[in-house]
Amino acid sequence: MEFRELLRAPGPVILDGGLGTMLQAKGLKLGEYPELAALDHPDWLLDIHRSYVEAGTQILCAGTFGANREKLRRTGRTVEEVIPPSIAIAREAAGDRALVALDLGPIGQLLEPTGTLDFETAVDIFSQQVRCAVEVGVDLVKIETMTDLQECRAALLAVKENSTLPVIVSLTYEERGRTFLGHSPACAALTLEGMGADVIGVNCSLGPREMPALVEELTRWTTLPISVKPNAGLPDPGGAGYDITADEFAAAMAELTELGVKLYGGCCGTTPEYIAKMCKALEGRTIRDISRQVPAAVCSPVQVVPIDRVRVIGERINPTGKKRMKEALLRDDIDYMLGQALEQTQAGADILDVNVGLPEIDEAGMMVKVVKALQGVTDAPLQLDSTRPEVLEKALRVYCGKAIVNSVNGDEETLDAILPLVKKYGAAVVGLTLDKNGIPKTALDRLDIARRILNRALNYGIRREDVYIDCLTLTVSAEQEAASQTLEALSRVKKELGLKTVLGVSNISFGLPARPLVNQNFLMMAMTKGLDLPIINPNLEAMMAAVRCYHLLMNIDTDAREYIAAYGSATVSTSITAGAGQPQTAAPSGERTLEQIVVSGLKGEAPAATRKLLETMDSMAVVDDILIPALDKVGADFEAGKVFLPQLIQAAGAAQAAFEVIREGLSVQPGGQGEPKGIIVLATVKGDIHDIGKNIVKVLLENYGYPVVDLGKDVEPAAVVEAAKKHGAPLVGLSALMTTTLGSMEETIRLLRAEQVPCKVVVGGAVLTADYAKRIGADFYARDAKGSVDVARQVIG
Amino acid sequence: MIAITQLNTSEVLRYMGCPPEKADGFLTAQVEACAREVLEVIRPRWSWRELGLSFEEEGVRLENGLLLPGEDLKRHLSGCVRAAIFCATLGAEADALIRRTERLDMGRALTLDCCASTAVEAVCDQIEEELQSKFPGCSFPFRYSPGYGDLPLEVQGPLLDLLDAPRRAGLCATASHLLTPRKSVTAILGISDKEIERTKRSCLGCPAQGSCQYRKAGGHCGIS
Repeated sequence: MEFRELLRAPGPVILDGGLGTMLQAKGLKLGEYPELAALDHPDWLLDIHRSYVEAGTQILCAGTFGANREKLRRTGRTVEEVIPPSIAIAREAAGDRALVALDLGPIGQLLEPTGTLDFETAVDIFSQQVRCAVEVGVDLVKIETMTDLQECRAALLAVKENSTLPVIVSLTYEERGRTFLGHSPACAALTLEGMGADVIGVNCSLGPREMPALVEELTRWTTLPISVKPNAGLPDPGGAGYDITADEFAAAMAELTELGVKLYGGCCGTTPEYIAKMCKALEGRTIRDISRQVPAAVCSPVQVVPIDRVRVIGERINPTGKKRMKEALLRDDIDYMLGQALEQTQAGADILDVNVGLPEIDEAGMMVKVVKALQGVTDAPLQLDSTRPEVLEKALRVYCGKAIVNSVNGDEETLDAILPLVKKYGAAVVGLTLDKNGIPKTALDRLDIARRILNRALNYGIRREDVYIDCLTLTVSAEQEAASQTLEALSRVKKELGLKTVLGVSNISFGLPARPLVNQNFLMMAMTKGLDLPIINPNLEAMMAAVRCYHLLMNIDTDAREYIAAYGSATVSTSITAGAGQPQTAAPSGERTLEQIVVSGLKGEAPAATRKLLETMDSMAVVDDILIPALDKVGADFEAGKVFLPQLIQAAGAAQAAFEVIREGLSVQPGGQGEPKGIIVLATVKGDIHDIGKNIVKVLLENYGYPVVDLGKDVEPAAVVEAAKKHGAPLVGLSALMTTTLGSMEETIRLLRAEQVPCKVVVGGAVLTADYAKRIGADFYARDAKGSVDVARQVIG
Repeated sequence: MIAITQLNTSEVLRYMGCPPEKADGFLTAQVEACAREVLEVIRPRWSWRELGLSFEEEGVRLENGLLLPGEDLKRHLSGCVRAAIFCATLGAEADALIRRTERLDMGRALTLDCCASTAVEAVCDQIEEELQSKFPGCSFPFRYSPGYGDLPLEVQGPLLDLLDAPRRAGLCATASHLLTPRKSVTAILGISDKEIERTKRSCLGCPAQGSCQYRKAGGHCGIS
């Protein structure tokens, strides 16, 4: 029987039990590689597989769990040497009584952002295993024991892109109901069902008694069959074994039929006896049929955002009309975008729109960098915003979770180019109610386009819940009758098609005075017509206030808890005044000067004090006569041992806050002198992941007025060369913390010299010395962050 | 069960490069706030194995065949016939917290980073205490980690494998043998049935000794 038939047939599907622990029982030594069992101990492996078939197993996992090229590297064997005999032995044991699965376990290195392994490399590693198994022939693939949803996605993509095999995807959770990396069953279910998994499950880590909570969470977020393969109880940290007997195991597993679990097996510590007893216990039990309905929702790996109330999409990461954002994109200043992201989520954004489209840059490359970096710092799901399918595909590949694609429209070409990507990567999609002929004037015509988009999406296999319609806001000062048409269309899309709705709100007031008034009221009107996903600037208090009031008045904010939490201690003036969108600032302290504020590192007070000074002083004078001297004073005190690193950083942070205020008004580089200074490229070298020192240097350099291009950590020598050339950097700074990575520092300098990049090189890091710096060809050694500033002054001025 | 409920703030300050007695009120308050924040997000996990040791020309061989090369560890473990090998991690959340804070407030990020370093040492202290209690009457030289002296980082991968660390603690090594999540440790705790001279962990065994910022400033990092 084929796997998919097995799933359709009534009754439980029986999987196998532990393999690694069985091999150990046979004599496999601690630290010996179980994936080599097919080569070193084929008789043991055959014997174990056979016992499982005897016990009632219908699907055998071949002994390929860690047979990936990274793990095998240490054994001197290749994937092609290990996988075929492993599968052959399972096949021999299975005969015609069981199916054989290619078992894919974790690679053994963590992916970015916690580790350094790149996503596409992970896909490639799994692809090699899948191709090898397809050649030999297997019935299905089981991806299991995963703790990182991103690694699951890599493995699942590898299966989908290299075979037509059915796939079980199973993660391993801790008692708190999360994986080691904090990923939740809900996020796994939403993401993996979207990407085409056939079964979603739980294995390892916990015992059968801890399964019900995990299974219940899964059933809320997927309609797929569920598999459960727990350990024989909880493990002893010293490796002394597991704490549940075969009888206890069988009884607890049988209980899971009540929760609708379809596939049953065991993981570490379970044996053929456990599986046989479990089979027996399952006999005669019917699997409860629970009807499941998964609501509209998007997610990151750790956070599900159900679209069950108004959810705010933050619009700030978009260069359109934002000079500072354009500058950041041109300068590869990812940190600025991350700051924008965190500011918006703090203000209450649930989802962040990401648009990095600028004609001068490589949009796809930038999109990938920004999406990865954003997912490293924020848990908010992202809305990937581009008109170019190739950009969307790159972004969808690396995005971990269920994203929103912004957008398609009624134009056939766009639908055919983008909807298949939405389907492949399991995203939700925004459909704009326009087509080749432009934006229809009437609500009825927009409803027609919405229907067309929905039908096409359904044809591509996209769920109705994953189609969000944008009825398009037009500028009311240009077309006054348009606003009511937009609202009417929105209301009908909601009622007649039952779809979630999106709307960019801020356009409505373009060209009008007191824009916040119009925006806030239009937003409120749209929400009452059924708007689910307003795309707004959440930093504008008036807009978030409208959303909070709507939730309060519609009885969504139960007991007004969120409203009171937000406004319980607020004093709100009764009129909205122009400029209500100004960021809130701490009350200026009457006593302290800006210089004192910087020296004392009082970041919160810096913006207000700077604004006050700018009323009477030229911005250049503020920079040259106050900020730089203040920083110099702190720097001198640091060198004299009067203040310490933390105070130096605090002072720099306060100065940075002041510079940002000055920048808002003028296109001036911090540091003044009108002309921007030469760019400094910073990197933590290849192989090293300790980058906090480099990040401190960056903050300091920026506050002394040097623009910095930060390449991050674990940076290839070639990437440093490329960036130094691209930005014409007069100075490159390299850091390394470990003795073992000094080699890559030397290699990076060698390459810079070989390519004749006309730059000076400064190096720093815990294990470096001035002597060593000279030996590897650096021009300067900086013993600390302040030392880097001194070098920059010497080289750049 | 390993649980850390408070951190030694003086140690945090030393990691930050500030002599504890010179910290002002603002800094002290920040260290305390960051310590609370770190304690809230960390999820210490660990795994250990007891293994026999034999001493060879090139280093110390563990019972399962793994060679820990170098002279320093050999000297360090002399008198021990077995060892408790362990790993510990604070988990990925600590890294994420520091990463996020770096974008908002570098001073605070540095403080969090140093709190996490202090926390992982505290976790190891607790583990060591628990392990020592399992071997009554024995004595133990200080715990020794890859990267100390001439024990190369290359042994991280095989040590994690024998501890089943990826599966039990979510702890892995990168291609260049660094531990991820970052606030993690692997260590070898020698076990001797006889009294041995208990040496203090000192700067002599430290890979940073030649250029250590604390030593340059005339002090030490506080790890002892």
